[in-house]
Amino acid sequence: MREILHQSNICLLREIEKLEAWLAPISPVQELVPYHNWIVGACQLLHGKVLQNLRDLDLGRDEILSDILSTTQELSRMFSLYNQRLLSPVFRSLPSDQLCLRIVSWLHKGHRLTSNIPVGLSDGEFGIWPAPPFPTVYFMPSSAQRGLLYLPLFFHEFGHLLYACHKQQLDTAVRELQEEILDLLTPVSRRNDLYEQTEEGKRSEIAESWYKWAQELFCDAVGLSIGGPSFTRAFSAYFRMLGRSQFHLPREELTNVSHPVSWIRVKLLVERERQLGWSLEANALENEWQTLAKEMVIVEDHYGFYTDRFQPAIQQAIDTMLKEAGPYQITQGEVSCSEWVAGQCTPVCLLNRAWSMFLSDPANYSAWESRAIATFQALGV
Amino acid sequence: LTTQWLAIQSFQQSQDLLDALNTLSIHLKLKLAGIPDQQRTEAATRARETLVSFLESFEHILNVSEQTKGSAILGIDPRLRDLARSFSSAKSDRQRFHSVLFTKTVSEVVRLLKATGAEGEGEPLAAYCKTLIDSLGELRALIEEHIHKDTVQILGEI
Repeated sequence: MREILHQSNICLLREIEKLEAWLAPISPVQELVPYHNWIVGACQLLHGKVLQNLRDLDLGRDEILSDILSTTQELSRMFSLYNQRLLSPVFRSLPSDQLCLRIVSWLHKGHRLTSNIPVGLSDGEFGIWPAPPFPTVYFMPSSAQRGLLYLPLFFHEFGHLLYACHKQQLDTAVRELQEEILDLLTPVSRRNDLYEQTEEGKRSEIAESWYKWAQELFCDAVGLSIGGPSFTRAFSAYFRMLGRSQFHLPREELTNVSHPVSWIRVKLLVERERQLGWSLEANALENEWQTLAKEMVIVEDHYGFYTDRFQPAIQQAIDTMLKEAGPYQITQGEVSCSEWVAGQCTPVCLLNRAWSMFLSDPANYSAWESRAIATFQALGV
Repeated sequence: LTTQWLAIQSFQQSQDLLDALNTLSIHLKLKLAGIPDQQRTEAATRARETLVSFLESFEHILNVSEQTKGSAILGIDPRLRDLARSFSSAKSDRQRFHSVLFTKTVSEVVRLLKATGAEGEGEPLAAYCKTLIDSLGELRALIEEHIHKDTVQILGEI
């Protein structure tokens, strides 16, 4: 056992040293410097822990071999995480990353709990790894990173980080919502038989699903709060062509999905957008999804996982969560910004302007977007 | 809009716990063998704090889980809910899990973790260390099983 562990730790050490040597000479773009520094520090820490394992092995005590084995496996997993996932934002770094990195850095700096969390960018389906004190990695498909229209979807992802930073309080709000949903699902009088036991199981399944669903809906509300109509436009444009599953899922699939179907999310966004005073945008979004549902002959049925009766409780819970998390709130001026001025306007102003340009003049949009991105990268936020 | 956020958070929590469990376990075993381990004293103190903090909140989840008896566990993230259910199952697996943590209460282990000067609390050092080491080892086994699902979701399967 001792020999196996010694060999494994020596191998791990060699791998870590290779990464350290590779990382050291890299000079990343300014926005990636805190992330790069964090990774360098994390590799040093890992290095130190492997050396500690080797010192512990040298003690010659058999009773600690099981602990050293577990530690070596733990460090190997951590090394794989760095090697396979967390290092790629540094190694794949491109000058074009600056656009996305500036926007997510602006997001982080705007909130007291996220201002010191380094950010990285990677390729993939829209997503986030929000696990402080790890740096936050944002994922976005390659083509979306190079334009403005889908960038508002970062604001939803940032919502997950806000949730992680306020987890205890937001979990309480989610629990209260789950309890309300369970109450709404429970009939006034119940039988005392096997059928009722099965029904109770189904109700529990639905109530438990709402832990993840509530977080996703909170993140949508964060997206709207930060990005305004640019968020709902990006959201709709991205999801509306992903097919029938965005409107309806069979019951057995609903149990396992982490997001409510997009149509439910749209309904709640429409309601919230109206409350915020963007009725025209809300009506357009609602019509768009109703038109698609009609064309595909969708019969709305979410098998008890969602009914319109849940809506007041959901919106109230999300209001509470937003108050607790305190995301950036876009102003009317940023929504209706007619000209984006680099250095004076915020990124959300730019993203709303981009959508206005795209909708009003799609033929000339690409040229406008290229100029806007070049200016943004040259002058910054 | 993937759901790796849940897997990475759960992965990180399990890794932190494993780090704390291993650090403290080695420290206690060396102490028991009379080998000086000064360099790890501070890390062992932090490990105790990490484990106390986790076990205190986890005990609450376990209580809710046991009271609801298969009904919904609300306001708890699904991975922690899974761990609570695994823990409850482990309590009835006396072949594998027979430490104080699984046969008595979580509070008992929390009490042991807080009693850093065990000798001063009237408990013989050897018995104190052994009781705690057994519980740490079994909790570690449970968490090592638990982390597999998150690791696969984040890193994939080979």
